[in-house]
Amino acid sequence: MAEAKLTPEQKLAMYHRMLLCRMFEERVYFLFLEGRLPGTIHQSQGQEASAVGICSALDAGDMITSTHRPHSHAIARGVSARSLMAELFAKETGCCRGKGGSMHVGDAGAGMLPAIAIVGGGLPLAAGYALAFRYLKQPNIVACFFGEGAANIGVFHEAVNMAAIWNLPVVFVCENNKYAASTAVEKVMRVKHVSERAAAYGIPGETVDGNDVEVVYQAMVKAGSRARAGDGPTLLELETYRFAGHSRSDPGHYRKPEEVAAWKERDPIARYEARLLAEKVLEPSEMTKIRASIELELETAIAQAEQDPSPKPEDCLTDVFAS
Amino acid sequence: MTVNADGAAAAAPYPAAPAGPPGPGREPEPAPELVQLLTPEGEPVEHPEYAIGESADEIRALYRDLVLVRRIDTEAISLQRQGELGIWASLLGQEAAQVGSGRALGPRDMAFPTYREHGVAWCRGLDPMQLFRLFRGVSNGGWDPADHNFHLYTIVIGSQALHATGYAMGIQRDGAVGNDPAGADGGTAGEAVIAYFGDGATSQGDVNEAFIWASVFNAPVVFFCQNNQWAISEPLEKQSRIPLYHRARGFGFPGVRVDGNDVLACKAVTRKALQAAYAGQGPTLIEAYTYRMGAHTTTDDPTRYRLQSELEAWKLKDPIERVKAYLVRAHGADAGFFQQIDREADELGERIRREVRSMPDPGPLEIFGNVYAEPHSLLAAERDQYAAYLDSFADTEQEAAQ
Repeated sequence: MAEAKLTPEQKLAMYHRMLLCRMFEERVYFLFLEGRLPGTIHQSQGQEASAVGICSALDAGDMITSTHRPHSHAIARGVSARSLMAELFAKETGCCRGKGGSMHVGDAGAGMLPAIAIVGGGLPLAAGYALAFRYLKQPNIVACFFGEGAANIGVFHEAVNMAAIWNLPVVFVCENNKYAASTAVEKVMRVKHVSERAAAYGIPGETVDGNDVEVVYQAMVKAGSRARAGDGPTLLELETYRFAGHSRSDPGHYRKPEEVAAWKERDPIARYEARLLAEKVLEPSEMTKIRASIELELETAIAQAEQDPSPKPEDCLTDVFAS
Repeated sequence: MTVNADGAAAAAPYPAAPAGPPGPGREPEPAPELVQLLTPEGEPVEHPEYAIGESADEIRALYRDLVLVRRIDTEAISLQRQGELGIWASLLGQEAAQVGSGRALGPRDMAFPTYREHGVAWCRGLDPMQLFRLFRGVSNGGWDPADHNFHLYTIVIGSQALHATGYAMGIQRDGAVGNDPAGADGGTAGEAVIAYFGDGATSQGDVNEAFIWASVFNAPVVFFCQNNQWAISEPLEKQSRIPLYHRARGFGFPGVRVDGNDVLACKAVTRKALQAAYAGQGPTLIEAYTYRMGAHTTTDDPTRYRLQSELEAWKLKDPIERVKAYLVRAHGADAGFFQQIDREADELGERIRREVRSMPDPGPLEIFGNVYAEPHSLLAAERDQYAAYLDSFADTEQEAAQ
């Protein structure tokens, strides 16, 4: 299949979206350090190319499922920084009306089911949602994000096998960031690549550079076309790295500094920035403008979120059931 | 019920597999690499990796196992129909897979069965009465797993794959693995684990997790899957896109498909997998390709979901007939030998009927036995309380008797 051609506008949009992911996470990091945000966070710095590359290849009616590390997925899918920030502040204006918090952000209207924090929990839901698309004769697909740690959970097997035998329109997107909390992937996997698991279910598996947004995009276009054509699921493995610890309380001491440094050399945003500058898609002056506009967007989102009302005690029992 | 946009009730709960030419990921299956040493007609087959290594006497012994195990099964079904057993899960058609793998086990190997492994139980040396006590509901499990290195029957589908893997990692940590690379001491020094499960269990997450643990830690375990084609009423093609022995490829360990109705092939393949485990080479997945000739259990009626023609085709692949033919042609077994085995089977059947019918019901307090390994104060209190409750009826019983 020929590669989908990306226009300069699409490239700039992907760059902008990745930068928004990164700057959002950096801002949130300091908000936590300052004690202004409640709860805990799982940050995604370093994994922006996978979130943006996948979501840029989706149609408006498609759906994604996410994990305990969902901020970049939400931004990439088009959930506004404003409603995301308000959600982290547990405010009524948040995308889950302040009742979900960091690990459950999402907006079904924007094409993202509220994130599922249980490791591997999103896989059967993604398969089920894909079954619903098929059942309702909707031409849409599901992109299911999960980590390499989740690939060792029983429901991974059940969901992927079921999606395979029923040819469901779902793409299983494994963000292999090398560590399941502190457990290195090679300690818990005999095969070299998560994508090799696909052989156990008779579906295509592919491993690509998860820190190259265009590579991710092209892989998703290919896998998505298969799913849309009724050829069933694909197991797509994106090799990436999280620059932050697993969660707010994890300094990541189990990783060698050289390893972290080597991956920072492959920073998906810096790489893409350099490429777009070289391609003259992006001008240095424009870069500054984009950054300034994102900073303003985030400052506004924070200022508004801090002033927004909290959910009222009586709201506790609403939004529990759909009907 | 969901209704489609055009108002018609939606019929199928999920889409059927697409017709037409195969798409990506649905390449036509290559011819299965089935290990077979004896054809259904009883002709020996040359195989590059496996060979018939048994003497005439050993093959006669295997034949005896097959016949007696089948008799245990037929007696059990009759007894269940007469109300003497609560339920029975028939192994009819799977005798070779069970006897072949069961006789491949060394004395120190540990077996983790499902609820259908009556043939393996036989090979491990359990008196069939121990099985019948369980299915009659007069014992709390049936036997001590340590007596014959045969774990209790497991009802939950696939969970014993995890127990087996854990046990295998245990003996690995005890230093029992890797000491017997060349099958020293007649192969009796090795120690490994075999986990039995069916085709249905391969769809369970637990089995997947067992594969991961076993593959990552090189656990000395053989995953022995009896693919009898039906998970109750669910046919295999609705459960997997690939032949089941290919499943292991996704986890990085070897998988092999063997004719599950060929006792010699099952024994040879299991033996080799065990030896790899003894030598520290980790797990193997064996898919024994067979057929459940009977019902899932005595509560099931397979005529409601499968065709008679399928059953007829598998009758021609009977696991016992091929060994009989081979013994006659290659080893000169005569009618006397077969009559002697049949007599033994009749005697076994007679003993089963007699002993099962005379099995006493357990006392009500026996339910408190075998719960904890050591005395437990809460359980003792509950037992005493229940005993006192039962005693409170003593007067009533006396009155009734008068």
